[in-house]
Amino acid sequence: MTKKETTQSKPKKEKKVHIRMGSLERREALAGLTFMIPWFIGAAVFLAYPLITSFWYALNNIRITPMGKTFRFLGYGNFTQILLSDQQFLPDLVDYIISTLISVPVIVVFALLIAMMLNQKIKLKGFFRLIFFLPVIIVSGPILGMLNGQNAGSISALDTQAITQAISSVLPAIVAKPIGDVFSNMVTILWYSGVQILIFLSALQKINSSMYEAARIDGASDWECFWKITLPTIKPMIVLNLVYTTVFISNNDQNAIIVLIKAAMFSGTSEKGYGYAAAMAWLYSLVVLLLVGLFAGVMLIRKDPYEQEVKKAKRDMKKEKRQLKRMRRRQARNAKKYAKLETKTVA
Amino acid sequence: MKKLLALALVLAMAFSLVACSGDKASEPANTDTEVVATGETEEVVINGITYNKATDMTQDKITLTYFHFDQDETVQYLANRFMEIYPNIKVITEYEPVGSANDTLLTLVAAGKTPDAIMISDADFALNNFLLQDISPYWNADKETQNLADTVNAAGLGTFMTSKRYAVPVKFFPTMMCADLSVFRTLNIDIPEQNWTWDEMINIIKSAKRDGSVDGTAYYGLGYYNRLDSLYGIASSQDIIGEFGFNGQTFNLGMWAVGEQQFSDLKLGGYVAPQRGVVAEEDALEDWLGDIDAWYGLSGHVALMSEAYWTYQNLWNTEEIKTNYPNLDIVPYVIPAVSAEDATKDHHAIATIDFGGVTSSCQHPREAYELLKFMSFGVDGWKTRLELYSDENYVNASGIALKHDSMPAPITKNQEIWDAYIKMYCEGMDEEHVQRWTNYFESVMQPIPYGWVSIAGYWTYCDQYFNSIGIHELVDKGTNKAADFADEATRKANYFHAAAMLDYFGPNGLNVLSAEEVATYEQLKADNS
Repeated sequence: MTKKETTQSKPKKEKKVHIRMGSLERREALAGLTFMIPWFIGAAVFLAYPLITSFWYALNNIRITPMGKTFRFLGYGNFTQILLSDQQFLPDLVDYIISTLISVPVIVVFALLIAMMLNQKIKLKGFFRLIFFLPVIIVSGPILGMLNGQNAGSISALDTQAITQAISSVLPAIVAKPIGDVFSNMVTILWYSGVQILIFLSALQKINSSMYEAARIDGASDWECFWKITLPTIKPMIVLNLVYTTVFISNNDQNAIIVLIKAAMFSGTSEKGYGYAAAMAWLYSLVVLLLVGLFAGVMLIRKDPYEQEVKKAKRDMKKEKRQLKRMRRRQARNAKKYAKLETKTVA
Repeated sequence: MKKLLALALVLAMAFSLVACSGDKASEPANTDTEVVATGETEEVVINGITYNKATDMTQDKITLTYFHFDQDETVQYLANRFMEIYPNIKVITEYEPVGSANDTLLTLVAAGKTPDAIMISDADFALNNFLLQDISPYWNADKETQNLADTVNAAGLGTFMTSKRYAVPVKFFPTMMCADLSVFRTLNIDIPEQNWTWDEMINIIKSAKRDGSVDGTAYYGLGYYNRLDSLYGIASSQDIIGEFGFNGQTFNLGMWAVGEQQFSDLKLGGYVAPQRGVVAEEDALEDWLGDIDAWYGLSGHVALMSEAYWTYQNLWNTEEIKTNYPNLDIVPYVIPAVSAEDATKDHHAIATIDFGGVTSSCQHPREAYELLKFMSFGVDGWKTRLELYSDENYVNASGIALKHDSMPAPITKNQEIWDAYIKMYCEGMDEEHVQRWTNYFESVMQPIPYGWVSIAGYWTYCDQYFNSIGIHELVDKGTNKAADFADEATRKANYFHAAAMLDYFGPNGLNVLSAEEVATYEQLKADNS
């Protein structure tokens, strides 16, 4: 085979063909962009700008004077001070992580149970839905603070002190305290479930009832229907609620870290202020992000059996295709080898 | 599309960078212009009160904003009266409760809406953010400033130990030790003289402790709002002009430690009445008074109470309490001095004093100073306050007479004001009690404020050291002795104070310290780092 022939055998590179948009397409594209511009402006002003600004703040010591803000560049100095010298931030952060890991599943499971009950055919359904949604409207920051101040956040029948003591005897104090706090604030935690109940309710109402009918014909019990139909169907909503609840708890006025950040922001001390608070907020947001990732990850890793089967079948098909290709290449190589041998023999 | 996205992000970045660069400090207000403060006045009569109107004020129409956490109705009334005296000046008052005053004020400053005159809740907050301007020219030209409680000038209150004046006393609440004389009579304890000593007070606290053998309910020697360590720290020596043994330049917590230990020993010895709102003391309180929300001040079973000044008019002197608790006989005592010699004369005693100042961006500092003075220590302002306090028809939003809503005491020594104040304060009292209150008021004109309003770096020290290791809790539990902390706490306090002085007033701050002072504070900082 000559060199020329080799070159010719390579597939030709396809030439890009530019097709000019018609006027209708141009108009549609323009309309699309016009609709997107408000989002871009909003994202730039209310997302990108505050994010960049707060990061810049985190790298500085800032004084808010009547003549304007003064910046002293510290680099990562604020972060170092928070992690190495701040005696409150890290313990509060550990408390927050442990209590969030406990309270988020409690809220989501409670919301799911209530949503399922409210989805039944019961009298005064609307009234009960109103009752469970009311805390969302009423329990805003200051009111919740006042209620907690009057011990309305804990269940009086629950001997939280005994529970805390029992936990403290088994677990180290750093873990026992946040767990005890969850029991002490059980009512408050359950009040946080109003929006989640609504999300679950809408998901439950969208499940096709014929699936339950078919399952029952096949002899499935309510218990089996819940695990095989209800739960897999509303799984995306569970992930949504886990993420929502984590973000809600993390940004709540009652959150100790938020209180700490706010206190640092308006602190009179020269080491703190806007820059220090911004650095705290960045560290905190990373932790919140990890928690959200953890909750979402736990739910997304566990695929349902049908999806797993489909994926396996797809993987097998790909594997077969690869084997087929390999076989064809081998055939082609063998064919060439035999052709050479034949040529030599003839010569 | 990707290009558009990239363009948008670039624009956002450029926008933010431009915005950040715009945050650089702009030029300060022009306060270098020649100060006109002649001290000349003319008389103006409004509502039967003669005011001394300053004649060196601007005649232009201006607006001044006053940010405060004082009693709001009172301040509004004062502002209206000020506008009547100076018709060309419009006064806008902005009220914020003390708990959120710093947050709101800083938000206003960050938004470029800095008020002209402000009350400050802690010195470090105001100094760190350079909120206050030097008002020495107005203060020095003002004759009234020489007739204030002695320590205001002698201890440099509001100067923060510099040669300049940045703040003036706005609200003055002398501290008092209240004695329930009915307890003294029941327990047959001698009623002390007004010039009692610290040791006499401790002996009374100890001798008044009884179990339920008298009438079935236990008696305690002391109920406390203010811890005794704060009181002892000032009462121990006349050289001390600030908390934690502050002498104007350095701290010495040795004296504080004595008071701290004494107080903790009293608590551990069972001489101090259980407090409501303290979880660890709820059971003891319920056992004692049958209610975890009961207040020792109404029990009639506590001899001495280290109460806030406002408690008397806000609670004990109200008709409701006088009717429901007729056996209470509360009289005030000055915080006793430790040495017998000091006790015989008017001596330093801790007091709650809120300060205020004119902001560094204020365009009309002369007029703002006059407004601040009217709202705080000024005689004219106090004439107006007395008009309000004397008439119980002037009420707050809850319908309570202003006299019973945390009324302060005058910090001026003007006799006319004090006579009217005592008359108003003691209305309805018998002669003996009027005399007791008169004696008390005569003994409280050497006030020393709490450290966070008068000492640079004090609050930073508390925030980053003292409160963070919980010294009070450790000593109260008996885990540690107060003296264990004295040396390290002194070293830290000196360090934070020196660092703050250099930071706020040194060459990189307001630059008002002399080279010698800078060297002294640098040495102090280095020695204690």
